[in-house]
Amino acid sequence: MSDSRKSEANNRPASALRDVVKIVKLDDEVAAGNAVFYKNKDFLALRAKLENENGEREEKNWDRVFLHRAFPFDDPYEYISVLDKDQNEIGIIGDLRNIEPNMRKLIEEELERKYYTPTIKAIKQIKERYGFSHWKVETDIGPLQFTVQDTYRSIIRVTSTRLFVVDMNGNRYEIPDIHELDRKSYRMIELYL
Amino acid sequence: MIELSKLPRELIAKLAEKGIAESDIKMCVRSDMNSDGVYCDNWLLVTEDDLIVIGGIKTVTPKKRLLGRMPDQSFVAAAAESERAGKGPAGAVKRMLRKYREAKSRVIYDFEQISYQYYPLANLKNFFIEELISTCRLCATMLDDENAKLEAERVERARAERKEREEREKRLAEAIRRAIEEGRPMPEVEKEENKQGFQQPEIKGEVVLITRFTNACRTDMRLFVKYINRYHETGELEFDEEDKKQELFCPKCGQRYADPERKICPRCVDKGKIIARFATFFAKYKAYVGISLMMLLLSSALGVIAPYVSSGFYYDQVLDKNGKFYGELLLVLGIVVGTRLLSMFISMVMGWVSAYISAHVVYDLKKVIFGAIERLSISFFTGRQTGGLMNQVNRDANNIYWFFVDGLPYFLVNIIQAIVVIVLMFMMEFWLTLLAVVVFPFVVMLIVWLFDHAEKLWAHQYSRSRELNSMLSDVLTGVRVVKAFSKEKREMARFKAHSDELANADRTLRRFENTAYPATSFLLYVGNIIVWLVGGWKVIKGEMTYGTLLVFVSYMNMIWSPMYFFVDMTNWASNCLNSMHRLMEIMDAVPEVAERENPVRMPNMQGRVTFRNVSFSYDKNRKVIDGISFTIEPGQIIGIVGHTGAGKSTLANLLIRLYDVAEGEILIDGVNIKDIAFEDLRKNIAIVSQETYLFSGTILDNIRYAKPDATYEEVIEAAKIAGAHSFIMKMPDAYLTRIGFGYKDLSGGERQRISIARAILRNPNILILDEATASMDTETERQIQAALSKLVVGRTTIMIAHRLSTLRDADYLIVIENGKMPEFGTHAELISKKGIYYNLYRLQLEALRSIGVAE
Repeated sequence: MSDSRKSEANNRPASALRDVVKIVKLDDEVAAGNAVFYKNKDFLALRAKLENENGEREEKNWDRVFLHRAFPFDDPYEYISVLDKDQNEIGIIGDLRNIEPNMRKLIEEELERKYYTPTIKAIKQIKERYGFSHWKVETDIGPLQFTVQDTYRSIIRVTSTRLFVVDMNGNRYEIPDIHELDRKSYRMIELYL
Repeated sequence: MIELSKLPRELIAKLAEKGIAESDIKMCVRSDMNSDGVYCDNWLLVTEDDLIVIGGIKTVTPKKRLLGRMPDQSFVAAAAESERAGKGPAGAVKRMLRKYREAKSRVIYDFEQISYQYYPLANLKNFFIEELISTCRLCATMLDDENAKLEAERVERARAERKEREEREKRLAEAIRRAIEEGRPMPEVEKEENKQGFQQPEIKGEVVLITRFTNACRTDMRLFVKYINRYHETGELEFDEEDKKQELFCPKCGQRYADPERKICPRCVDKGKIIARFATFFAKYKAYVGISLMMLLLSSALGVIAPYVSSGFYYDQVLDKNGKFYGELLLVLGIVVGTRLLSMFISMVMGWVSAYISAHVVYDLKKVIFGAIERLSISFFTGRQTGGLMNQVNRDANNIYWFFVDGLPYFLVNIIQAIVVIVLMFMMEFWLTLLAVVVFPFVVMLIVWLFDHAEKLWAHQYSRSRELNSMLSDVLTGVRVVKAFSKEKREMARFKAHSDELANADRTLRRFENTAYPATSFLLYVGNIIVWLVGGWKVIKGEMTYGTLLVFVSYMNMIWSPMYFFVDMTNWASNCLNSMHRLMEIMDAVPEVAERENPVRMPNMQGRVTFRNVSFSYDKNRKVIDGISFTIEPGQIIGIVGHTGAGKSTLANLLIRLYDVAEGEILIDGVNIKDIAFEDLRKNIAIVSQETYLFSGTILDNIRYAKPDATYEEVIEAAKIAGAHSFIMKMPDAYLTRIGFGYKDLSGGERQRISIARAILRNPNILILDEATASMDTETERQIQAALSKLVVGRTTIMIAHRLSTLRDADYLIVIENGKMPEFGTHAELISKKGIYYNLYRLQLEALRSIGVAE
């Protein structure tokens, strides 16, 4: 490579990732008045004026949108993808806390329903039989019973103290802090930590 | 009634109040949330014309609270007394009395309604489930009255058409059957018209949410959707045999199975039955089992006698001056040595016999299991990992082996011995035995606790070591990435953390073991001390002989030493039961794709293939194929195009019945493939698939796999058509080159050519090439295609490809996208349509142009 070409390459600033791809931030769009989340009967709907490929704004209506957390276990209110009914992404809500309270409530409600996760308050019993473990727990919605297959692998350890138990149907149960559990409950789950 | 969930009595009572009789309900299912996402009992009830959604909470009034509201006992007693006397209490008292009696026997349930919704079924169509993360929602399309009328008319028409067609096909199948029986030529099949008529006019509606539910109700809900949609189409609501077979509830206790695929109810596993079933494997070797049992008894007996002879008898009768055999050392020692030899002989015989039996039993077991596995459909294997499955089978068979060979006999010997010894001890010295046995329950409890705790520590240590190992193998396989991002330090830190944890776990475990086990031994020793102390005192006082004391002590040890073993036995037994259960599942599994009894024989097919409204899904939820219809006339070449994962290969799998269609049907020469004999179906269809599998062996064996009696000449011809001959001849051993693990490694293109040769040799009437030439360069592909195009004349050929140039010779093209078939026609037709195919074509052409190869 000749010297002149080398210097030319050096002079050109490297492009940042954000110059290459664009994340449609729906929270910003809502703030700018370009997007409105609303309730269409039992579904969450979105009406928005977003930029299309050519950079022009175009108003569109989605009477059913889906929400999907990009980092579900970390911060439940950040980076929520909004998808249409064919699962194509419309945009991302960067931080739900930026959205005005009424709309935010709608979105939170939808998230709450989608990621329905009872919190385990106490463990009454874990019985291991034939490769399944049968759990009897006390949760925030009352006593529950469920069955877990391949117990060790069905526990998502988010941190060393925060766990999610996934039962064989795919339902999730959260233990926000294992040290908050009473001693008896802790003893029972200790084996799987 | 199709009762997908058991309708509770309380709800039936509630419904009766609303004027809905139990007999009106045609189908019911429970979801565990209502449409607002509130966790409750939500019932979906289907009557003749309506869908009723009733949400409620099952309220429980326990006996205690009810009793609290009761009048005091004396009043109740008085009321009961007056009733007996025939006076009869007044209304309020009577009710209270009845409640009181009920309360005595059970808890009172009631269904407290919190929501109620009702939909006319005529306005609802196309029920579907949307799966979210932990919850799902059941939705349907709601039609307004005008559209509902249109839809009703459409359904009416479709029902009439279906009925007519079914009758026609029945007649045809009968005609074919008769033609074959009487040796006449096959009857002509009427051509199907409306080739393009597969698209139904869309009836517009609005999506509504019926209910939400958590994943726990998913299985039931899927069935609900299946039946309610069928009810809409056909007006019939019958429970399918296959779903009936797929019992979801334990027949014994009515509880749902944890895993519908694995029908074990942990509460009511009939252990006796399982053991009895596996015992039949031993039945063949009755004589040997008999010998083995006899030897067991003998060795137990010898075990009991031996200490008596060697210590009690020796000290009291031989060494003691007053003994009957005083001084007869040789005689007694002879007896001692004799019993030793005998017991050695017995254990040797036992070893031989059990080795003989077990080797045969394990062999029989594996044979039965492998036979069962071969019989099963492909979906059984794709559902599990095949390698893992075989490992599991081996492990399970070995588990059973060790249990029956090692565990059970040893257990029996020791248990018999222990009982006999304890009885003997009580007979010899009642009070002393009682004293010695006092520690017994404590030791057992202690050992059980120790095992529990040790097991926990072991599990902990095991999981830590597993983590460390997986981390290590992860890093070592990814060492290139680690080095490329220079993350060695980070990985070292991670390793250290894991390694420390393992070391900690190990240390805790060892420390526990090294304290706990000596402690138990000491406790056992306490028992011995008591015996020595009390026994010694008795010997000094002359109430007991020295020999008896010695016998006593050795008997004590005989009870204690297998103690650990006894406690661990329950673990061992439950492991073995689990293994037996798993094997039993395999033995009892029913193949999903089964040949019909008395199938239609079609040794020579013409090759007309019809797909009619075919839908299919691998996991019951996402439809891979969704309502596809087309007909291929005999001798036509049809090309299937579409994106990766669009469902192209699935079509081929369905045609050769690796899987059965979920809805719709596939016909060959007008006969449903479900009615055709497997042998004929697979003899007439050959498939070259994307994943070529060559068995280890020679190339010749592999080509001849489809037709073992093919001559050398036929093999060479087939290889030439497939373009394989030239590269095979370049190898030193030519057709006898060994391939497979550890031998010659072939390239992807070479493997594909061999598998094409294999399919060609079969000389099928229907040939399926599923991306068969994808791994070859374009030139080789052209050559093979030129040869193939001569071969496919007169054969129905289905070519699947995403490289459009592969499909140049196709008569028709089918475009598959997301399981649907949006386009169908010749190349020219599709180009002029400017749709999906046109776009694909344009993209591939542009790609060529961009590197300067314009066509």
